[in-house]
Amino acid sequence: MSTGRYFPSPPDHVPAGRMHEFDIYRFSPGVNDPLEQWGSLLASDAPRIFYTHHNGGHWVFLDYEDVREAFRNDSLFSTYQTPIPPIEPYPVMQPQGVDPPEHKTFRSLLAPLFTPVAVEKMKAELHRRSGVLLDAFAGRGACEFGRDFASLLPTGMFLYLMGMPEDRLMEFVHLAEVFMRSNDDAERATNIQQIYTVIGEYLAWRATRLGDDLGSVLVKARDENGQPLDHQDVLNCGFLLFVAGLDTVTSTMTFIWRHLAHNHAARRALTAIIDDREKLSVAVDELLRMHAVPNIYRRVKKDMVYRGVTMKENDRVVLPVSVANRNESVFAHADTIDLQREINNHLTFGAGPHRCVGSHLAKTEVTVALQEWLRRIPDFEVPAGAEIVGHMGPTLGFNRLPLVWTPAA
Amino acid sequence: MKVEVMPEVCQGHGRCQERCPEVFGTDAIEGKCMILMPEVPPELEHKARLAVKNCPEGALVISSD
Repeated sequence: MSTGRYFPSPPDHVPAGRMHEFDIYRFSPGVNDPLEQWGSLLASDAPRIFYTHHNGGHWVFLDYEDVREAFRNDSLFSTYQTPIPPIEPYPVMQPQGVDPPEHKTFRSLLAPLFTPVAVEKMKAELHRRSGVLLDAFAGRGACEFGRDFASLLPTGMFLYLMGMPEDRLMEFVHLAEVFMRSNDDAERATNIQQIYTVIGEYLAWRATRLGDDLGSVLVKARDENGQPLDHQDVLNCGFLLFVAGLDTVTSTMTFIWRHLAHNHAARRALTAIIDDREKLSVAVDELLRMHAVPNIYRRVKKDMVYRGVTMKENDRVVLPVSVANRNESVFAHADTIDLQREINNHLTFGAGPHRCVGSHLAKTEVTVALQEWLRRIPDFEVPAGAEIVGHMGPTLGFNRLPLVWTPAA
Repeated sequence: MKVEVMPEVCQGHGRCQERCPEVFGTDAIEGKCMILMPEVPPELEHKARLAVKNCPEGALVISSD
């Protein structure tokens, strides 16, 4: 591996007792469920803050409070230059990859576009899109859930919001998948360039035909002096939108639909509250808690002792949200899915200044998809003998999820 | 019962509005909490308390009982 300005130093500061064998990109033998792979850490002898030598070396935080602290405390934990394994050059995604207060420029640009008020206006389009996708296969009694639905809904919605032509949808699904799932240096470098090319070509095209889409908002953005924003930063913001909202929602949905395929009672319970906005929101939050896909990365900003643990500048930290969300000290009966859970401060969308700006859209996509799906397909299952293979890395998910049901007469 | 938001702590998760939309709203600029009903009527106290407990940032406080 080559070296770079922000690469971590060798772990000479890590005592043997803090070391634990864990590869965030690989399953243990016999495991193919990413949530099981990560969840097993809580019951293992791994220290609650441990260091693994895999993927360039990094810390992993297992306690909810530490994960939350790393999300919120940007004076200790930076979002700038965090990739695992380390790779440089790496996109400084706007605003995600910039510490406060500099993140404000692009955060302020994006935030109004994804508030609950703004997302409410996207609902009709989400219902329409879900319906079109479902009508294509509901009568067949079978689908490959990831390919036929879970990837197409968020990606199609992204293209619609960005004002991008939808004929390249499958190409974009693939690019987002590679970004989230590869740890091969050469493949990642090529993938990053391909995404930049797509974003750059699109924004140049959009600049000649401005509309009210997200792409036009990026092109038209001006700083407080009325000057255009730095072109590279604009591309970096487009890059973030591209990678943040596609594969993540897809993976979340595959987990949730797998759970429902195996749980008749959960399907009944959701169907019973499908039009009750408040109750459905509580239920969806619980599904999101238990099926959190992101492993978020941070970089230690300066040499420090954090909770008695010596950490060096540029050390990487992985924040496995699925593990934080299953801390028994925070969530009673943490391993049980309780669709009426009263208190649920899950960290699925992070916390602090970089709280997922698209969280309301993501949650609404899942909610609308559930509503439209369960109306047409109230019962469904994974076909007997089907092998479901998961993937690890910065996001967790399943590569494919075949589902079958009895079509309505 | 009164509720208040610490605007510098709120990060716009919107959970308060989802749990108790009668008392909590969100603005159209950053999606941050707006208290719609600072004096919570008795029939909404339970819901409002749950909303306060569901803030991942701890940005909401019950200021008097």
